[in-house]
Amino acid sequence: MNSSENHGKRVGAALVVGGGIGGMQAALDFAAAGIKVYLIDRGPCIGGVMAQLDKTFPTNDCAMCTMAPRLVEISRHKDIEIIPLAEVEKVEGQAGDFAVALRRRPRYVNEKCTGCGACLAACPVGKLKPSDDPKKPQPIPDEYNEGLSFRPAIYIPYPQAVPNYAVVDPERCLHLKTGKCKLCLKSCQAGAIDFAQKDEAVSVNVGAIVVAPGYKLIDPKVKPDYGYGAYKNVITALEFERLLSASGPYLGKVLRPSDKAEPKRIAFIQCVGSRDSERDYCSAVCCMYATKEALLAKEHLSPDLQCDIYFMDLRAFSKGFEEYYNRAKAHGVRYIRCRVPKLGEDPATRDVTLTYLGEDETKHEAAYDLVVLSAGLRPNPSSAALKGTLGLELDQHGFCVTRPFAPVDAGREGVFVAGVFTEPKDIPETVIQASGSVSRAMELLSPAKGELIANKAYPPETEVAGQEPRAGVFICHCGTNIASVVAVQDVVAYARSLPNVVHAENVLYACANDSQEKIKKTIVDKKLNRVVVAACTPRTHEPLFRNTIREAGLNPYLFEMANIRDQCSWVHMGEPLPATRKAKDLVRMALAKSRLLEPLYKKHVPIQKGVLVIGGGLAGMTAALTLARQGFKVHLAERDGALGGMLRRSRFLFEPEADPQKHLAEVVAAVKAQKNITVHTGAVIEAIDGFVGNFKTRLSAAGQPAVEVPHGAIIVATGAREFQPEEYLYGRHAGVLTQLQLEERLAAADWRSKAPRTVVMIQCVGSRDEKRPNCSRVCCGAAVKNALKIKELSPETNVYVLFRDVRTYGFKETYYTRARQQGVVFARYDENRKPRVAERGGRLAVTTYEPIARTEAVIEADLVVLAAATVPHPENKDLAQMLKVPLDPNGFFLEAHMKLRPVDFATDGIFLCGTAHFPKTADETIAQSLGAAARVAATLAKDTMELEANVSQVLDDSCDGCAYCVDPCPYKAVTLLEYMREGAIKKIVEVNESLCKGCGVCQATCPKKGIAVRGFRLEQISAMAEAALAPASLDPTPEPEPAKEEVAN
Amino acid sequence: MENVTDPGLIADIRRYGHFDVDGCYNCGSCAAVCALSEDSALFPRKSMRLAQLGLRERLLGSLDPWLCYYCGDCSKTCPRQTEPGESMMTLRRFLTAQYDWTGLSARMYRSAWWELGVLGAVGLLTGWIMSRLMAGMPTELTAQGGVRINEFLPMTRVHAFDWVMAAGLTFFLMSNVARFFWYTMLRDGDAPPLRSYVSELWTLVWDGATQIRFRECGENSPRWVKHLLLVTGYGLMFSLIVFFLPWFQTENLYPLWHPQRWLGYYATAVLTVFAVEILWSRVKKEEEIHRFSDLSDWLFPILLLLTTLTGIAVHVFRYAGWPFPMYYAYFAHMMVAVPMLTVEVPFGKWAHISYRPLAAYFQAVKTNAAGLRRAEGAAPDAAADAGPKAQAA
Repeated sequence: MNSSENHGKRVGAALVVGGGIGGMQAALDFAAAGIKVYLIDRGPCIGGVMAQLDKTFPTNDCAMCTMAPRLVEISRHKDIEIIPLAEVEKVEGQAGDFAVALRRRPRYVNEKCTGCGACLAACPVGKLKPSDDPKKPQPIPDEYNEGLSFRPAIYIPYPQAVPNYAVVDPERCLHLKTGKCKLCLKSCQAGAIDFAQKDEAVSVNVGAIVVAPGYKLIDPKVKPDYGYGAYKNVITALEFERLLSASGPYLGKVLRPSDKAEPKRIAFIQCVGSRDSERDYCSAVCCMYATKEALLAKEHLSPDLQCDIYFMDLRAFSKGFEEYYNRAKAHGVRYIRCRVPKLGEDPATRDVTLTYLGEDETKHEAAYDLVVLSAGLRPNPSSAALKGTLGLELDQHGFCVTRPFAPVDAGREGVFVAGVFTEPKDIPETVIQASGSVSRAMELLSPAKGELIANKAYPPETEVAGQEPRAGVFICHCGTNIASVVAVQDVVAYARSLPNVVHAENVLYACANDSQEKIKKTIVDKKLNRVVVAACTPRTHEPLFRNTIREAGLNPYLFEMANIRDQCSWVHMGEPLPATRKAKDLVRMALAKSRLLEPLYKKHVPIQKGVLVIGGGLAGMTAALTLARQGFKVHLAERDGALGGMLRRSRFLFEPEADPQKHLAEVVAAVKAQKNITVHTGAVIEAIDGFVGNFKTRLSAAGQPAVEVPHGAIIVATGAREFQPEEYLYGRHAGVLTQLQLEERLAAADWRSKAPRTVVMIQCVGSRDEKRPNCSRVCCGAAVKNALKIKELSPETNVYVLFRDVRTYGFKETYYTRARQQGVVFARYDENRKPRVAERGGRLAVTTYEPIARTEAVIEADLVVLAAATVPHPENKDLAQMLKVPLDPNGFFLEAHMKLRPVDFATDGIFLCGTAHFPKTADETIAQSLGAAARVAATLAKDTMELEANVSQVLDDSCDGCAYCVDPCPYKAVTLLEYMREGAIKKIVEVNESLCKGCGVCQATCPKKGIAVRGFRLEQISAMAEAALAPASLDPTPEPEPAKEEVAN
Repeated sequence: MENVTDPGLIADIRRYGHFDVDGCYNCGSCAAVCALSEDSALFPRKSMRLAQLGLRERLLGSLDPWLCYYCGDCSKTCPRQTEPGESMMTLRRFLTAQYDWTGLSARMYRSAWWELGVLGAVGLLTGWIMSRLMAGMPTELTAQGGVRINEFLPMTRVHAFDWVMAAGLTFFLMSNVARFFWYTMLRDGDAPPLRSYVSELWTLVWDGATQIRFRECGENSPRWVKHLLLVTGYGLMFSLIVFFLPWFQTENLYPLWHPQRWLGYYATAVLTVFAVEILWSRVKKEEEIHRFSDLSDWLFPILLLLTTLTGIAVHVFRYAGWPFPMYYAYFAHMMVAVPMLTVEVPFGKWAHISYRPLAAYFQAVKTNAAGLRRAEGAAPDAAADAGPKAQAA
């Protein structure tokens, strides 16, 4: 862990291998921290599998909508160089100074490409139809749509692809194969096609390498009994994801492949290729993606659509997952606990048939219109080559081996890993690992930060003062999100008719790179001085568009957004006519406001480089250490008298070589030795003031005077605690323990001599019930771990584990198997029929109803061990209030976005890690703490911070100092000033722009129109209101029947 | 009855052969793919579960292992490769031993020495008895010329011996069957009414005669035909020696068309061919059911083959007019056939002759009784079975 203490050359650049969501996160974090990034991908563009997803669980957020802004940000980031079609050939040198040789395959299309798509239409290969005649050439399956549609030999992988250039498929291009054709060449007006391109050697010099090569689905053909490939209506979950997607093969219509009919009955088969003898791991995401797909299918087709999920253990183990699972059940998704042995096909109807065992212990036959195979994850086969080039250690499945307590270290100094490559995992864990990798790399590279980055140069701002508004209006289809309800062409035509509009057009995805370029070009070409985008929500997309117009020379605040998706198409799904009318109203309102917009400018304030880490457990110490090694001054505040938190009670991990107490001792020693870390034990946080870049916190310790520490960012790492059960005789019988107490007993020297005859573990104590709906995530693993330990120490001890679902996700599944092999008996109990514990002759008798044996069984036990829930600290509430950050309904801190911002709070400058976020294992805690540290480092990388320009402004002439606005301000940003002028006491309020969030409460309170939020001035708002109330006759266009329309681009 | 778990159960069962439930996570594939398992008997999963949980008495009361004909589909499907088919086989051995009150079955299944020792001892005993029953010494009889079978071992004496043997065999088999009946049908209360037994009697006759369930078992139809032929051969041969010995053990040499000859040839041919076929399959291990072979699985065809081979030798020598080898072949024939019948039928693998058709019958009786209870408006299931229904329902 002390790589930063090496001496030697440090190159201020990094190589990121893999352009999926993990690689993208790493690239952005590196770039934000001042490191030049080379982001390479084997494919022609970045985006990875997430780009193929329709929505993401458990929030059902549109995957592309959350991801597209990042794609765009990367595509135009001055310090990120994307190198597509590239692979690592050779790595020489050492940590801090690697010489990397890359091989880049030819694209046959150069940077002149505009992504217009003319070549795609010209390519004759794209016109091929599938044929049964094997001699005829077959069309090319479109990889993005998982082969459900076809593509030309020159193609753009997907509409939002970055880089948005076409690429030639050398295997199928007629010109490259036969020397003829060249039709695309003729069609390309930009002259971007270049068949002379050859393989190219690229060498880069970097200080660190982050490897995130991602995954592929396990080919369902490994399970021939499911007939994948033979039965047309048996598809993979990723194919189904494409069916759901607006950019999918049937434009978001869910149709089954055999006859393009809408399915009425869909089955999801879990664990296809996972959790069997060959691949004894759990793919960790399939239970939830099947749940999501079932919910979405119901949304797309009908609430009455039959969706049956065949599963073994429903693994809803992360934040919000259990609630999502419960919601799906409430929506009528059926969960059937049986592994389906095989599928059949009705040759006449092409329906898929199966036999299963119901939970009523009866056998049923079922037929489905469509069967979705929840295929598991496997490492991307191409990553096997990294074993040689990067010297990585891979396991038998090809996953990269990492060591306990070092979840992102690839085993070679200066090389780090993220994503499914290390273990099957979900998007947020991948993002966390990616950020964590950057943090570890920055320990090495912090001396070189800023050395190789470019300074972003914007063109000078165009002067607009005094000019008549010239507005451009861009109406977004958002795939089918908007266009399936709102008649976009009508809205465009209507917008053109409005005053001051000099340009109006529709775009498929306004946020995509091609559309952004188009907007910029239009601003210049048509001399626009206002831009209105009617699309989704400004909450997520306004910054992107503001930046776009700034790049075209406009002040970013000359932009206005109309939300015609969330507030129109989504809420008026079945009413296209009124929705179209409303969209027009919203555009008219946005335009009315835009006429009154004026240029605004951001202020810059200096940044405090210190960090306050709240909580001195594993999470807090890990974050503090990595930040200190990157040169940041850290105040580590621990409420307890000593560092260590919950880790102090952990004695074993699965890996025999891992010793939590040894690791803890090392970390504590390192923290104490770190000169950049000031430890405050016994600390109480009395007050936190300020804002990102400029916080001030009053800390007091018992018997010591309070100190005030300045800092620029905060990491919340307050941890969690073990639930104190009241059930199962806990506290009333000495033989009833919690898992943590058992672990302590197992660590004692006398276990072997006093080994109990029988131990019964009861899972889900205090979790997954009405009071605490969430799963505690770690208890199944802890039970398996401790059961194995018991079997290791005293093999004669009988161990029973009573569970509801065994949630040993990822590689923990292997240990679950091992536990069974060592004779640990796992018996399920139903939530409505919990086990009972009674004392019997000095021992304990556990009575449980076993649903397969269909009988009650009595286990005579010496120890009963309860998997007590991991629960949040009740004090979280006070801290959340102090920090003005939210808690989730279970009392854990709530991050900004469950998928893509897993360590950030919505409030800038405050970050989150460890069990304060959700229960998690030591390795997951370490990864998240490193991740939070990377986000801190990115935030504090610069010396000054930009403040938002949309803040309150006192209008001196109107304010009479009545101070009505002072108290209501939730951010304490308004203060009253008294001063003497011309011999009289004058009063006026003053706004601290650093604290002001622009919420507008002051403006609403002011009786004198003496204070206003910039960009939301009264006259701007009233212009919108007037426009909203304008008579309908203002709408000059008649209302035709909205028809399905082609997208202009 | 309270079901207290017995952690030692699996170890006990494992003494009877391969029993791998360790990989099992009760996914249900095995029972779902099984062509024979049905709602009232969801094997193999339920049997595996009872064993895993250590519910010994429930397992002892279960008919399921006898309803399984081991096509091996479950083993082929099992994602954990736990070989549930072979585990069911082991359970049948275990249960055979539990039903046997003498304890001999358990000893023989658990120890090769016991099995071989008992077979050898009974063989030697038979030899000794034969030597007592013998009327003339082979050398003397040979010297007198001609094949004098009834002067060597007089038919009446052998016939009497056969009857005694059959009676003993039946006594042991039936007393074990009675225990089987008690465990599976009576002990746990809720016994089906007599009329259910009467109305399902047909199942016993039909299933006993045809083993029709075997035919429905997975891809087992060819095996069903083989097994059926084997049963006819065995039944015929057993009847010939026990009931028709006077007709069979004779000095008359009949022409080929005579039923005494072709019936004997048919039975011998069937028994020989299938004994060889079984042995060959067990050597090749191609089919799922032949991948595992316990000693008892080997001994069964080996003894059968030795019996038919010695029987063929007796026959050939008699028709060839070679008295001396014939007398010894007859001796050897008895020393193989008698232990095979007396040891294997009540205590060994051949006990399934009784348990299989009876299990099918008892299962039908239970289903019938459940139907009657439902018709009478009683609760459809016993109280213990009123588990939570599928979340789906």
